Amino acid sequence: MSASLAPECNEVKERYDSCFLKWYSEKFLRGTARSDECDPLFKQYEQCLSKALKAKGIDNMLKEAREDNRENDAEHMRPKR
Amino acid sequence: MVKFYSSNDTYQYPFPAVTLAYFLRYPNPYSTHVLTTDTIARHFDPETQRLTTVRLHLKRSKLPSAVLKLLPRSLLGASSGGDTQSFILEKSVVDIKEGWMDTESRNLEWTGVLSVVERQVFRRPTPDVPDEVKIWQGMEGAARRHGFINFTGIGAGAKVEDTGETTEVESSVTLHSHIGEKWKKRKAAEEGVSEEEHPQKMGFLRSWGTHSLQRSIEKIGMSRTLRSQPNAREGMKVVLERMREGGLVAVLEGMRQDREAILKGHHAFKKGRHHDDDE
Repeated sequence: MSASLAPECNEVKERYDSCFLKWYSEKFLRGTARSDECDPLFKQYEQCLSKALKAKGIDNMLKEAREDNRENDAEHMRPKR
Repeated sequence: MVKFYSSNDTYQYPFPAVTLAYFLRYPNPYSTHVLTTDTIARHFDPETQRLTTVRLHLKRSKLPSAVLKLLPRSLLGASSGGDTQSFILEKSVVDIKEGWMDTESRNLEWTGVLSVVERQVFRRPTPDVPDEVKIWQGMEGAARRHGFINFTGIGAGAKVEDTGETTEVESSVTLHSHIGEKWKKRKAAEEGVSEEEHPQKMGFLRSWGTHSLQRSIEKIGMSRTLRSQPNAREGMKVVLERMREGGLVAVLEGMRQDREAILKGHHAFKKGRHHDDDE
């Protein structure tokens, strides 16, 4: 698995990533997914990561970038046929 | 001025395997400069069966010496050799029903100097049939491919079956330098003065001419892109090959080894390979 930006989050990231890979390959790719079953693990991972992003001062840069991109995303995230 | 690169490719692997490889592409032996990858947002829509993911990658990069010569060191914040770290924001949407994955990656820092937006669209080739039939076949096709990955927990021998299916990839990179523009606009708006009154900041830009500086930077970015694109493709192929040979177990084992090599071989990699140039 890839490493986390925040070493203290590696463990919870690993648990989430494993859950996601299982869900993605067993359910999502087969078109049988009904909900994101790994969301509770994601929330734990997110909690750990957001602390680290804040401490490193990356949170604001990220927020700005995502707001900037939001308008582009709406039209972009659908391939033209 | 904007520079634009695009290419088309076909992977000899089925669409679901390619989407999985995309999520698992770092680390791989061709991307030892990617230090970390975190998922910062994920959303699954059960109605459309679409999955949206936002990830943050941290890359070690080396600024090209040509850029170091063009810009004052104080502006770059890099070491004397041009070593620096940079964040890449990646967004992807997978639509398993319609059979496409749309991805976009962009640099988060120095977007004023050079903004690099990389887009890849993966598609399951569609047979030439009416839309209604196509939708039904898409569903049925996904069901038929149940066996493509037989994943029963990590440790099981999941494999990609060689079904002869392929995936089309459309890649593009857009390079845009805004250097000089923002400063001019902001100054003019805030103070109602022309750039002429700020020679200390604009000096080196003016001596070059904003447009020729932008073009030079875009050109440097383009030559990097041309060098790095084959590595990005090879990286995906290594991951897909591992998946075909030994399933997810082999992919994860490969990642573990690559990660170890990156951690301990910082210097060895630097000497041995030159993949510092993105992707």
